Amino acid sequence: MKFNIPIGPQHPALKEPISLRMTVEGEVIRDVDIRLGYNHRGLEKLAEERSWVQNIYLTERICGICSHSHTTCYVQGVEKLMEIEPPKRGNYIRYLVSELERIHSHLLWLGVAGHEAGFDSFFMYTWRDREVVMDLLEMISGNRVHYAINTIGGVRRDLDEGLVKKILDGIQVLRARSEYYFKIGANEPTFVGRLAGVGFLSKQQAIDLCAVGPTTRASGVAIDIRKDDPHAVYDEVPFDVCTADSCDVLGRTVVRIKELMESYKICEFLLKNLPAGDIAVKAPKKAKPNEVVSRYEAPRGENIHYIKSNGTEKPERLKVRAPTLANYPATVEMLKNGFIADIPLIFAAIDPCVCCAERTVEIVNARSGEEKVLRFSQLRALAAARYKNSPVQRNAVWPF
Amino acid sequence: MRLAVFMPELLRHLFKKPATVDYPFKKLEVPKGFRGTPFLHPDICIACRACERDCPAEAIEITSVSDVEKKFKMVIHNDRCVHCAQCVDSCPTNPVKAMEMDHLFETAGFDRHDLKMEWVFVRALPKKEPKPAAPAAGPAQP
Amino acid sequence: MAVLKPILYLVVYPGLLFLFVYSTFCEWFDRKVYARLQNRMGPTHTGRWGLLQPVADFFKLMSKEDVVPDKADKTLFTLLPIVGLAIVTTAGLLLPLWSVSETGFAQVSFSGDIIVLLYLLSLPTLIFFLAGWSSTNAFSEIGGTRVLTMLFGYEVPLFMAVLSPAILANSWRMAEIAQFYRAKPLLILPNLLGFVIALICVQAKLERTPFDIPHAETEIVGGTFTEYSGKKLAFFRLMTDIELVVSSGLIAVVFLGGFPGGVGLGLVFFIIKTLFVIFLLSLIRAMTSRIRVDQVVSFSWKYLAPLAVLQLLIVILIKGLLL
Repeated sequence: MKFNIPIGPQHPALKEPISLRMTVEGEVIRDVDIRLGYNHRGLEKLAEERSWVQNIYLTERICGICSHSHTTCYVQGVEKLMEIEPPKRGNYIRYLVSELERIHSHLLWLGVAGHEAGFDSFFMYTWRDREVVMDLLEMISGNRVHYAINTIGGVRRDLDEGLVKKILDGIQVLRARSEYYFKIGANEPTFVGRLAGVGFLSKQQAIDLCAVGPTTRASGVAIDIRKDDPHAVYDEVPFDVCTADSCDVLGRTVVRIKELMESYKICEFLLKNLPAGDIAVKAPKKAKPNEVVSRYEAPRGENIHYIKSNGTEKPERLKVRAPTLANYPATVEMLKNGFIADIPLIFAAIDPCVCCAERTVEIVNARSGEEKVLRFSQLRALAAARYKNSPVQRNAVWPF
Repeated sequence: MRLAVFMPELLRHLFKKPATVDYPFKKLEVPKGFRGTPFLHPDICIACRACERDCPAEAIEITSVSDVEKKFKMVIHNDRCVHCAQCVDSCPTNPVKAMEMDHLFETAGFDRHDLKMEWVFVRALPKKEPKPAAPAAGPAQP
Repeated sequence: MAVLKPILYLVVYPGLLFLFVYSTFCEWFDRKVYARLQNRMGPTHTGRWGLLQPVADFFKLMSKEDVVPDKADKTLFTLLPIVGLAIVTTAGLLLPLWSVSETGFAQVSFSGDIIVLLYLLSLPTLIFFLAGWSSTNAFSEIGGTRVLTMLFGYEVPLFMAVLSPAILANSWRMAEIAQFYRAKPLLILPNLLGFVIALICVQAKLERTPFDIPHAETEIVGGTFTEYSGKKLAFFRLMTDIELVVSSGLIAVVFLGGFPGGVGLGLVFFIIKTLFVIFLLSLIRAMTSRIRVDQVVSFSWKYLAPLAVLQLLIVILIKGLLL
């Protein structure tokens, strides 16, 4: 006998609102219907109203955990449009913060996976160790979340000798702790019993459904933008792409822990070989009319920003394709024929960052419940028709 | 697959001090360079409006009080501020910048109008640099 | 005057008031140990060392709004917390806390009271199932079915593990069993396997990690307790706390030698032994993660039940050899 269970929009298993309507039969899931749009903030439209520099801070606030990924992806694209190249030291510092953010994000994910599985002690321990990384990032950039260290043409703050030493010490501590968590994760029988064999996604399915990030690397597909499309520092830094073959949630855990160890190696290489020099070049105010696609390996997968300029100091169009959006079709496949008890783990295993992915909206007629999908050109025509005769506003109108 | 592999670590923590900072009763130290709230040094500001243009949250408002005396009023709306410190970076005065971030983070209040700060000041004269490489210290047109 | 003593006994000690105070103390102890194992502080600021935190939680819940779902069966929905609380407090009355002398036993001690206690402790499971069922909420129904599915797993090993020391001591009366093990302390050692099995099964009965499947917070919101709020939820939580005290009291009586020495000394022994058992239960809670309901059933029948049968065999062998 099938009945529908709504997981979300409000649910303790989800950190952000998303609606997964499950059709269940007993404890087995038969079908999933994903509905997005609860966290839509109109960021792409807001980006068209702000100048290139102001947009750095706007893109940073697309997400809290992968904030640096969005900024870096955007700034890479804008630097290409303006045809400037940041100096070497600036690049090293920028990607050092990227790897530190990857460490922080994976430690956060380990804790969340533990919490979803009911393993609260593991959650407390990994988040306590994540404080080491957060404190390091606070020393480098001035804030624990939203580091805002990028500027067009380089970075804003420099590292001095004492700070470099502190980061290296912090990485030593974290490396010892991560090896301990690897041992626990692989050996605690109740935890492994929850993770093994759950959320199966075969290699062919991962390729067909265009999954990205650790989700597909756990199915044996070795794609990593840092290796496939090396840019800036990644052609100089030696590291390996981490894969696993078990195609399930345990594989994804193993991939993320291995990536933690790789990030420690990359950070140490970057710090020991930090070149001297400037940290930024001066950027012009306007960009020539052109369009650019910028890719970046965020902790969750491949992040794509498409930026189009028209010669003014504001972008014409910014389109963000976050990695979580690419993982949703794979999630539907993974949830089918799973148990209800596995829903939080399968969903948490793709490392969902729902607010990153809120770039699409489905139009639902509130009275009849009918759903419609509009083409982008139709949406733009509707918006242009509505605002055509309203007065030009340079800035937002603040009510007080 | 070993049983109770977590137990020695757990038992060891019974005798360690907790990692929690007992927050309102014990304060945390913030590092140097922490981005708190922005404030102005009115004696150095040349009212070039670079910070007002670059602020992503439109939190800085510079109005001219009197054209004759070159008096300006700057209001920083701390309720709109996102603490990005772009105003500090955009400020062209040197050697000391007119905008600076302090280390305050306990800025909560009951009314958002209490969070606005104002300065009324006479515009400082930009220093005349002989043949500058980039005329960053010149008065910009609003 | 003669009627005053039983009333005092029922209401003050070891009845309602004592169980309320002591179970909130045990919940504080459990939360503090759990927090310290995880390198955090636990309740700290309510009362000295946070001792009043569970009491504060209880009174806060009593003052919240009580929402009853529209389609739920109102009588059943309202009666269940009260009946549940009555059941566990009655079970608490059966613990031999008040052994006045070596030969005179507790006030309500009779032959077979261990069976009555085990039976009374099984009833809360049925109450939880009915609570989930009568809430007419998809999440509560899943929680209710999970509670009953778990019952198929842990009940048999629990009975076998708790009854083996009774078989060795040749009595079905808890105070007598405790007295037997106090007289011959070495005979506690063959029951060690039963002790471990009883701890695991009691953890399942109390619905704590690794067995907190029925009210798994991250999966089914609140499980059986999703629709309960206000006073009813306060009573359910008090019921789980008193169940914790009674179950640890049962394990302490049967495996650790009971509470000798009359009113005062008996109370001290009760506190020490039950806190030791609760410490072990908190350690299990911190050490493991939640497992799935089908894994509970397969784990119980593959490992726990055969080990419990082994324990029975050991007891029968020793009884034949030594006594």
